[in-house]
Formats: sequence, structure tokens, C-alpha cells
Amino acid sequence: MNIASLRHIGLSSQQYISKCYFHQTASLGEIRKMARLRVVDNSEIGKRAMAEGKPPKCIHVYNKTGVGKIGDVVLVAIKGEKKKGILVGLKQKQNPKVPKYDCNNLVLIDDNGTPLGTRIHVPIPTILRTILKEKTQNKGADYTKLLGIASRFV
Amino acid sequence: MINTTKNFVKLKTFKVFNFRNVYRSCSTEASLNNTNEEENATQEGFKKSFAEYRHIYPEFLPDPEVKLRNVIREKLERKDMIARRSQIAIPEFYVGSILSVTTSDPHSPGKSETFVGICIKREGCGLRAKFILRNVIDHEGIEVLYEMYDPTIQKIKVLRLEKRLDDELLYLRDALPEYSTFDPNMEPELLVEGAPVPVNSLKVKLKPRPWVDRWERKNLQGVQDIDLPERFWVKAAKVATPWEKYDLMKIYKKTIPAEEQRKYTMKSNHNCKS
Amino acid sequence: MSQVLCNILHKTALIQLEEKFRHLIISNNQLIRNKSINLPRPRLRNPTWLTKKHRSLEPNFLTQENKEFLKEVVSDKYQNIQPQSVINTNIEWNSKLKRTGLICKKIGVYPMWLQNGKKISTTLIQVLDNHVVKYISPEEHNPPRKRIEKIINKKGCLIIGAEAADPFLFTKEYCGIFKGSGVIPKKFLARFFVSPEAVLPPGTLLTAMHFPVGHYVDIRGKTTDRGFQGVMKRHGFKGMPASHGVTKTHRRPGNIGGGGEKGRVWPGTKMPGHMGNRYRISRGLKIWRINTKYNVLWVSGQAIPGETNSLVYVYDSLVPSKKPTEPLPFPTFLHGDELPEDIYDKEVHSFEGPSILFDESK
Repeated sequence: MNIASLRHIGLSSQQYISKCYFHQTASLGEIRKMARLRVVDNSEIGKRAMAEGKPPKCIHVYNKTGVGKIGDVVLVAIKGEKKKGILVGLKQKQNPKVPKYDCNNLVLIDDNGTPLGTRIHVPIPTILRTILKEKTQNKGADYTKLLGIASRFV
Repeated sequence: MINTTKNFVKLKTFKVFNFRNVYRSCSTEASLNNTNEEENATQEGFKKSFAEYRHIYPEFLPDPEVKLRNVIREKLERKDMIARRSQIAIPEFYVGSILSVTTSDPHSPGKSETFVGICIKREGCGLRAKFILRNVIDHEGIEVLYEMYDPTIQKIKVLRLEKRLDDELLYLRDALPEYSTFDPNMEPELLVEGAPVPVNSLKVKLKPRPWVDRWERKNLQGVQDIDLPERFWVKAAKVATPWEKYDLMKIYKKTIPAEEQRKYTMKSNHNCKS
Repeated sequence: MSQVLCNILHKTALIQLEEKFRHLIISNNQLIRNKSINLPRPRLRNPTWLTKKHRSLEPNFLTQENKEFLKEVVSDKYQNIQPQSVINTNIEWNSKLKRTGLICKKIGVYPMWLQNGKKISTTLIQVLDNHVVKYISPEEHNPPRKRIEKIINKKGCLIIGAEAADPFLFTKEYCGIFKGSGVIPKKFLARFFVSPEAVLPPGTLLTAMHFPVGHYVDIRGKTTDRGFQGVMKRHGFKGMPASHGVTKTHRRPGNIGGGGEKGRVWPGTKMPGHMGNRYRISRGLKIWRINTKYNVLWVSGQAIPGETNSLVYVYDSLVPSKKPTEPLPFPTFLHGDELPEDIYDKEVHSFEGPSILFDESK
């Protein structure tokens, strides 16, 4: 396992494999507190954090359940700072027609909902448009700016 | 059972399922030319392809769980499936084929979304049939699950019809990204009419561990030599045949001298002959 | 005299106090989840006086000719089952009136899609050949086993039979139940309480069209038998941690009561035991589609009690928010003109229709 090669691919480092000998469920890949995410925009803080090998860690999910879904706002600890972000791609099993990504992607935003970066180099799921139009989010989740800076949709 | 009322139709035994009206579309020149005409199959040709139908249309096979089977439910379900197939062409494809799926999306410009990818898994029976397409876009691996009979799907097109050496290609998640990358604007590749489905004997190279699953235990044909320490293979062999630990005769045979072992094998041969 | 009266009053007062005390005990122990104390006690054995149904079939030495003759006799007799009198359709339906239910079979589950693209899970319920066997008016109806002694607004009892069978297999007494109506002996019988205006003459055929599309129903079925189950599966207890030093206690109930003056295990304490094989009702299920050829209803949800191919009883829904807005076919649907094979609710997408496209933006 080469950390440099993993970084190049953009994967988070190996998870601790438990040595308990009782039945466990398969890995669900949910985003909860302590989950490591991958920043996919070109914000300064994000780029530096990913380059150093210290990906942002989720410290709070703004959700009734502590599990993050696509489009949820999360609070992350990145380079010693607290920043908010929007989950833009998940490794978790999704509903039909919703894309499932190989990495848990995050776009950093400030408190108003404006993204910190200017471009997103990864395709964004179109389900965000549906969430924007159909549901009302109360905690600063304004996807319009995020959808504006996206380069590609899936 | 005695049917006494007029309103109840006696159920006919549903022996042969009539596929003549189903449009079998694969990427062939003939199919591109005459899109909505019925295939003029001769009686012999029909019989030959009927044997393959369980591979071409696996979701028409009955539910593997016998408790859930019911003649009328299956009849109605298949009727609905045929009705849907008369609306859009759901082509023949296998795990390893490259498909392009267009779905309608209320909030997209143009009201539709297209996704191109390789089919890595196919499951479900009846109207619940699903398949997963995988592609790498902008260095990001993306998988999308589609339900085959979902009415929001506008079009399913097979861009490259081929099979692979394995039934499921979930190991592509741990393979190098080049094996899952396909051009979203790919042109459909045509095959000769009536030719058998080509089998792609590609051997994929996996990334170093950690992996999503224990690929060394799955006896994958489509993967290049996995370079792992000995202990992995030892454990894989142990876990491969869990019923052997209950095979007392086999364990006993290893403890007795070679001559008596031969006696046991000769006895079993004799029994087979008689 | 006054002493006797006093005694009687004292006793009745005691009885009332006992009742109240009993209710208190039960309510103390009752969690919001557990409604089985209010449900009718499961009747596990039939009473001895119940009509014996199946005949013990000894080897019969009938010749082939005689067997065929018997079949002919039966088919001639029951060829055309007609209602014994004219069905009264002049009654205007109102929400207070109660119609009959139907005996059906749960045949499977498969998905359907709505016009807006959402997927729903639907259960297929096949309406068996229901014939009305008998009607017992509210004055006559006096069952030996009663849940409540005094019933307000007593309803009439309509006995319906389903799934015609060979009368040769049943006892004479069982066939006698169907004698007056002219209906062929049926495998299954059921009671449905109806208001006297909803009476149907014996011999009436009931089909899936009895319930209109878009109507809400309650379905009663016998749940899957899970056998003897532990407290975690049966009552949803959380158990104990699998590790961290927990000794030999992972799926046990833990504490079963307190101490003090009433330091005993209360009646109704949740413990392991037999789970399943009880009648439960799923309420407020919408009918999305009806097939008139096979008499099948597509009903929302997949959580209808019972396994596939099990019997199920379908009633008009009692849920207040799911009451019908349009008048229902009262007392039942009368077949006149030819019906289309499939009738869909307006919100559901038919597989024969074109793919769902979104034209206008919101």
C-alpha cells in the first residue's frame, strides 16, 4: 500500500480492520462524524489540505440523523480550521438513477453558502437540482452557486 | 377444481412463452435499418434462439424463491414486461457490454440525462430487474444503478455488445481506472447479424490493496495474477470449501495408509458400476 | 332486605374496583408499541360443536363410469349460480353504511411507477370466486362467543364463501351450509358484518370490481409464523453489547420487574414466546389498479400480513382520512357492460403507455 499512489488516486487511507470474530455488516460507507472526505473544488485551503495528505474530517452533519446524504451540509475540520461543506458525491449505495462515486466528495462553502473555490473538477450529480427545487433546506444550503461553478454533470 | 361461473376463465397451462412479438435488438446493421419490424424468424431459427433466451432475457426466468411463485402473478408481471418492451427497445446485453442510457430528468436542461458505462452487474427478476453501469469521468469513478422497466428511461442503447470472463465485474472498482474509462460520446460498434456474442478475455490489473472485497477468494477469471503474500492464498483455500470440514470420510481417508485408501476408491468404483 | 341489597351493592362495587385495578395493571405494563393486549385473544382451537369440514376419504370402489356420472351431476347442478332474489340497488350510499368485504388471496408483490416518476411497491391481491352463502339479520345473529355483551348499532352478518371445490371431499353437514343458497360448496367461509341495507341475496357473485380503483382498503391476514422467538425479534428489545466484558448476556431481556410491595412479574410482561400466525390488519391501503379478467387488485405497500398464496380478507377502510369521496357501488358492483381488462388509477403509469417525459419546467 503506497500512500503516494493513493493520494494520486484521491483515496483516503486504509481503514482499521477490526479483528473481532463476530458477525459484522458489510461496510456501508456512510458519512458520519470522523469520516474523511475529499475536497473537489480548487479552493486554496482545500488544495493544500489534500496535497499534504490531511483530508478534511467531518465533525458534524446538519441533519436529523447523523448520516450525510448528497446535498447535505457538513461541518469539517480542515487544516486546524472549521469550515462548512456540501456533500457532492458519496461512496454509499444510492437510489436508482443517482450516481455512486468512488470517493466521498466535498465542496467547501462559507456560512452564506458561497463556495470557496471557483471550479469543481469532478462531475456533480443532477439530483442536486431536484433537491434545490423540491425540498427546502434551512441551513444555508444554496446550491445555485455550487451548480454555477460545476463544470460537468452526471 | 370445478369452475361454475361464466366470469372465471379456466387458466391455460403456460408452457411456451411467445416472444415473437418482442423486438430483439442488438447492435446489428439489420436492426438499425428496420427498427420496428418484427423479426421474420423461421420455425427452426426460432427454436434455436429460444434455448438461449434464458441468457438473453434472464429477468423473465421465474423467481428463484419457490415460496414467492404464483402462476397468475407471473403471467401478469410478464404481460407488463412485454407491454413495456413494446414501448422501448430493451436490448440484449450482458455483463461487460457498454451501454448508453437516456433517462428523463425534470430539472435538467433538455429534460433528459444520458449516461454511458460498462455493465458490471445485472440482477433481479421480473419488473425488478436492475443493472449497474460504471464509467470514469474526469478521473472520478461513477456508478449508476438503473431499473430496467422504469418508465422514466427513454432509451437503452448497446454501444458494444460483448461478454467477459466473469459474471460480475465489481472488481473494476479496485482495478486501474483505465479499465473502466469509456468515451461518453462513443459510437455504437456494429456486429455481424447472427454471429455469437464475442467474449472479451481481457485480464484486468488490480490496484494494490486495500480493496472493496477479497478478490483473491472469488476465483476471478478476468483478473491478472494477483500478487499477494502466501497467507492470503492459504486462507482463501481454507474458506473456499467450508463443507469439507464436515466430510468425515475425507478426513479419515487421509489418516489411513495408502493401500487402504485405494481400497475405498476401488469400492466406490465398484458401486458405480453396479 | 336492606342487608341483602347492601351485600349486592358491596359485591358489585368490589367487582367494579377489581376491573379498574386490572385495567391499571395492564396499563402500567403497556408500552406504546404493544397493542396486543387490546387485540382479540387469538382463537387457537375450534370449538367442539363446529361443523366438521373434511370427510375422511376411504378407498372408494366407484367405477370410472360412476365417477364421471357424479362429476356430471355436480356440474349440472352448479352450472349457473344466480342470486336468489333481485339485488336492491335503489339505496343511496352514504358513509355510515357498511358494505361487505371479500375473501382474497395474496399472490405476490411487484413494483409500479407513478406519473411523476416515483416508484411504489404494490401487492397483488386476487379476489377468489366469492359467492354469498347466507345472510343473518342483526336480530337473529347471536354467536355463542361474544367479545362484548352489548353492541350498539348491531350489524347483520353476511356469510361469504370462496374457492369452489368438489362437494365429494366435504362432510354432509358442511355441504348443508350451502344447501339453501344453491352455491357450490366452497373451501373457505367468512363472516362480514354489514348494515342491513347492504344485504345481498344468497348466490350473488362478488368480484374485484366491488372495490373501485383509487379506493382505500383494510386488509386482514394471518402473519407469517416465525415460531418460538426471542425477545429481541419478538418485541424489539435492544439486547446487550456483543463485547466489552459482557458475560453470557447478549440477547436476553434483562430486568423483568421491580421490587417493593408488588415485587412480582406482572401479567403481560414481554418475554420470549411464539411469534406470528396471528391475524393482523394493514389499514388505509390504496388500490392502484384492477384486472377484471383475473380479478386482481393492486394494493399499495408490501407489508400485508401473510405469506404469498395465503388467504386475506379485504374490507373498506375505516381510517377517517381515507374515507371515500365518491359514492361506492352499493351494495356491490353489478356487471353490465363489458369492462376493460385493466383499470388504472389516474396517478399510476400504465406499462402500455409511453415513457414518462417531463415537458414543462416547474
